[in-house]
Amino acid sequence: MKIKSMLTCGLTASVLTGLLSFSFIGSAFAEWKSSSPVTVLSREEGSGTRGAFVELFDVLGLFQGKKADLTTADAQITNSTSVMLTTVAGDEYAIGYISLGALNDKVKAVKIDNILPSIENIQNGTYTISRPFNIAVNPKTQNAATEDFIAFILSAEGQKLVEKAGYIPAAGQKEFVSAKPKGKAVVGGSSSVSPVMEKLLEAYKLVNPDADLELQVTDSTTGMISVINGNYDIGLASRELKAKELEQGLKPIVIAIDGIAVIVNKNNRVESLSKEAVKSIYSGDTKTWAEVLK
Amino acid sequence: MRPQAWNEKIMRGVFFAAASTSVLVVAFICIYLFHNGALALTKIGLWNFLAGTVWRPNIEIFGIFPMILGSIYVTLGAIIVGVPTGILTAVFMAFYCPQKLYRPLKIATDILAGIPSVVYGFFGLVVIVPLVRDFGQALGFGGNGNSIVTASLLLGIMILPTIISVTESALRAVPALYYEGAVALGASHEQSVFHVVLPAAKSGVLAGIVLGIGRAVGETMAVIMVAGNQARIPTDIFQGVRTLTANVVIEMGYAADLHREALIATGVVLFCFILMINLGLACINRKNMTKKGK
Repeated sequence: MKIKSMLTCGLTASVLTGLLSFSFIGSAFAEWKSSSPVTVLSREEGSGTRGAFVELFDVLGLFQGKKADLTTADAQITNSTSVMLTTVAGDEYAIGYISLGALNDKVKAVKIDNILPSIENIQNGTYTISRPFNIAVNPKTQNAATEDFIAFILSAEGQKLVEKAGYIPAAGQKEFVSAKPKGKAVVGGSSSVSPVMEKLLEAYKLVNPDADLELQVTDSTTGMISVINGNYDIGLASRELKAKELEQGLKPIVIAIDGIAVIVNKNNRVESLSKEAVKSIYSGDTKTWAEVLK
Repeated sequence: MRPQAWNEKIMRGVFFAAASTSVLVVAFICIYLFHNGALALTKIGLWNFLAGTVWRPNIEIFGIFPMILGSIYVTLGAIIVGVPTGILTAVFMAFYCPQKLYRPLKIATDILAGIPSVVYGFFGLVVIVPLVRDFGQALGFGGNGNSIVTASLLLGIMILPTIISVTESALRAVPALYYEGAVALGASHEQSVFHVVLPAAKSGVLAGIVLGIGRAVGETMAVIMVAGNQARIPTDIFQGVRTLTANVVIEMGYAADLHREALIATGVVLFCFILMINLGLACINRKNMTKKGK
């Protein structure tokens, strides 16, 4: 019996490795052809990253008389950065975009108008594809602990952590002296902002162990609604605040700038794209790589 | 009253409460969904919502017809892949399987049922997607592998355990007399199994298929990772689709206002789908009961 089940396991394993190596060899031997159609990858409607991307590349236009995001309907949609990375790493003809902080070496970041996306280039203003990370508070319900924490985020110390996490500092270089207030606060919202927020919270706890701060990872909209409702004290948003949210009394504070990198497969021969070319690919006017290589 | 009578009364209350929990939960979900969904439907218009082919939330055009089609296509594909495989596996396990092979086979299907859908999704993303991409391009269809075919294959695998276990128990529930009678009349093993026992277990087999369909319609995570999620009507099976479930999950995180309500209304449509499937199941069962009653 045991031998039989081991045999089954072994068989399954070998079939799996066989399949994997087949697909691997299949993609490794095929030559990159510029006549192939571009696989356009995009984030979902409403995503902060997508909103910033279409704005910055001007993938906007009139649709039935209204100003709209004109990303082609043929674009493949994902709501996760890791699926985006995996798909681009596996599909030689894919193009996608992600937060600069999430970039890894399995994909290639394309230069935009011959400028490489990097923290230095965003800081010196040459690479302009970037967006703010916001925190939002309700001034009516703020307590001493949240104020002290926000001061920490915007201090030289806090901003150093922001830079370490791969984002661009947004605030001045003030030294931080904690007032060490006691108090409880709930921080929550965007899953894009959460990783850097987690590091900030850890560091703040060392400075002021008396404050009891808690992080809840949800999404930008939930974060904003929860601050309005009073469930969160600080909300996180990876996008600009909407007019309706500002009307309800939220006060946004920019804590970091995040670059957006346009990514392609490593086998792709394209090194640099113009802003117009990216726009043309995402609006569906450019169908093949040959058209942008010219 | 005697203490015993009190105990009786109290326990009756406890059982009643336990029994009403599920009914109440279903009722609450119905009320919540239909209440919120109705808001969006009145604003968008039922016909515009169900038959509209354009989904552009940022300019408030909400047409979910492509998603309804997407769910139907993918579920049909899953049936084509999963139902024959599942039924034949169940027949094999019940009538042909050598004793030694039964346990590993049973364990394998049980494990298949227990694998979380994210794991299926990831498997699909790294293994099935590249295979389908190469296959589709070899056939001249193009596409990058995130397609109806991929989602159907994956869902077909995911509904296997449901179909196998329900079908197998239905086959085993057929009285041995049927098989013995058939063999005694001179039928071969195959004839007895396929022409006597399998038709006798028809209602159980159908129930298994319907449960499988329910799972396929409701599956979300795995489908999002491999289906491409384009909100437009596909023209061939190597193109991507977006299902109703994917539509809700992908955009819920960032949706606000009418967009959010439209997503809840999408949930209502999905809920109606599931209701119809369950009604179908109930009909099958009732038909069967009356047949047996005769």
